Amino acid sequence: MLRSLLLPAALTAMSASLAFAHDTEAVKQSPPNEPYVQVSDVLPLPEFLPGLGTLFVDPETLPAGPFLAYDHDGRLSATVYMTPLDALAEGTAYNDLHLGMHEVTSVDVYYNAGHPGVEVPHAHVVLYHDEEAKGRLAQ
Amino acid sequence: MTYLRRQLLQMGGGALVTLMQPAILCAAPLREVEMRGTGRGEQVWFRPHGLAVARGTTVRFINRDRGNSHTATAYHPDNFDRARRIPKTATAWDSDFLLPNDSYEVVLSEPGVYDYFCIPHEMAGMVGRIVVGTPRDPGWEGPSRDTSDVSEAVLGALPSVEDILNQGQISREDAM
Repeated sequence: MLRSLLLPAALTAMSASLAFAHDTEAVKQSPPNEPYVQVSDVLPLPEFLPGLGTLFVDPETLPAGPFLAYDHDGRLSATVYMTPLDALAEGTAYNDLHLGMHEVTSVDVYYNAGHPGVEVPHAHVVLYHDEEAKGRLAQ
Repeated sequence: MTYLRRQLLQMGGGALVTLMQPAILCAAPLREVEMRGTGRGEQVWFRPHGLAVARGTTVRFINRDRGNSHTATAYHPDNFDRARRIPKTATAWDSDFLLPNDSYEVVLSEPGVYDYFCIPHEMAGMVGRIVVGTPRDPGWEGPSRDTSDVSEAVLGALPSVEDILNQGQISREDAM
């Protein structure tokens, strides 16, 4: 009985893991392959955003992302999500979002008034992938 | 001091004044409006967001926000079919997106009130008002009374014409 309960649960967990596990090796170093595009190539934004680094995103995943954030050396340092506040308040949920890398050492969540690409007030959810990532993305 | 030296100095001074006069007379006034933002983009604003200028003044909008791009865009049907909030005879302007340290200049000649906004940040209240001349000027057009095309937040963020004329310019404190 217990086995019959655990097996579906394990399969569900495995399928979820597979769903989230896009090829993290392929995105470790900038630039990631298609469908990712460099945000500053398609939107009027600086190439390196202080605090976020150089961002890449699959346009199909806008506005939430994930945005892959690279430092000056092209190292994947953070995964960023952008969630419009009005959409959240109206019941929109952003589920099963991909991760750039599975190791996450800390998370910042903060308000942003808007910018090209996500032109409404929204939250930035920033998952840092190593202890020094925030420092490397700062400037 | 010899007469000759005194005469030369007077001539030189006079020549200098003569040379300077055209420059002074011809120099069009220039005022600057900065686009600002906090480090993480929590807040964005024009500084000053209320400004009084003489007719014919060149206003330079410059992006001083290292982490964002901004526009200075007149409320006018030419710009995204927005309701007009600049004098009827004035020409609309749109700076398009300015990256950090980019700038855009516009000459404002028609007397009246000009309201403008930042395209990606209007919802965040990033708007400004420029008053050109005074209500005594012929052809003066006061502030728009339209409330259908802008939010209450935008209307609340625009300084009054009276305050702008009294103070010359109005800036909010840097948020962070």
